[in-house]
Amino acid sequence: MLLADELKAWIGREAHYPAREELGRASIRYFALAMGDDNPLYVDEAYAKEAGYPSVIAPPTLICETCQYAHRPPDADGYIGHEWHLPVANCRLIRAGNDYEFMRPVLPVDRISVTWTLENIVERSASRGGTQLFVTSVARYRDAAGEVVAINRETLVYQPLTPA
Amino acid sequence: MIKPTRSAATITPGEALPPLERQFTAVDLVAYGAATWDWHRLHYDLEYARSMKLPGVVVDGQAFGALLARAALDWAGPRGFVTRLSFRMKSMAFAGDTLRAEGEVTAVRAFAGGHLVELTQRLTNAGRCVAEATTEIRLPD
Repeated sequence: MLLADELKAWIGREAHYPAREELGRASIRYFALAMGDDNPLYVDEAYAKEAGYPSVIAPPTLICETCQYAHRPPDADGYIGHEWHLPVANCRLIRAGNDYEFMRPVLPVDRISVTWTLENIVERSASRGGTQLFVTSVARYRDAAGEVVAINRETLVYQPLTPA
Repeated sequence: MIKPTRSAATITPGEALPPLERQFTAVDLVAYGAATWDWHRLHYDLEYARSMKLPGVVVDGQAFGALLARAALDWAGPRGFVTRLSFRMKSMAFAGDTLRAEGEVTAVRAFAGGHLVELTQRLTNAGRCVAEATTEIRLPD
């Protein structure tokens, strides 16, 4: 059994990442280029204004996908984004799914802070034998005024590399 | 001249979204990782991926969300706004794979100031399901 009482005690933990700078036009254009998304709303100011926005806007999922909030050296896996560092050894991490809610378009001038909450940990039997952990976390993204602009409920699976 | 935005009056459940295909080459995975400040080895380090018992470097599952949102917004037009996107992973995708986004309208309902359109979307990789999604788009009246 993976799910010791020690692990259950992690449920409810929070981690806050303050905004370090404005999201910025470069981050938006870079993301659109990387995704091969040629929507002019992300790069063409006049087009975005004609469509009713105050400036270019960010692709909706960008702030949920970027680790721009992070500010630390990469860990052994190369990762700089939020991690709980759960005491689970010899597992690989697989994404199970994400539920996004978006309140308004995000602009390049927005300063987005992020608060992660560890919502739940569930142990389920794995088809390949043994058990795996489903860890659900919620990220709330807020603007400079403290208004929530997006919510990301994410479930990751910790799969043992050597099935029991 | 901006692209027109879809009017809810012309949308009925069952309407199919135009399919959108995107290949994720090794270059695309590096570009996506850099653009999202995500330098995790899973997305470019083949030896690392093999040490995790995976056959290749992995397409970041979060990019599936971006692709699904893009397919929905390409269909809805510039004044459409994604209010919800919920996706479930069904299988992994690796460098070189081409993902195809398809979907259809499942519901249209009015609210003060506009309509909400619910879509069911899926991503496939050579016919195999990679992700399933429910997406909600707000359209102005």
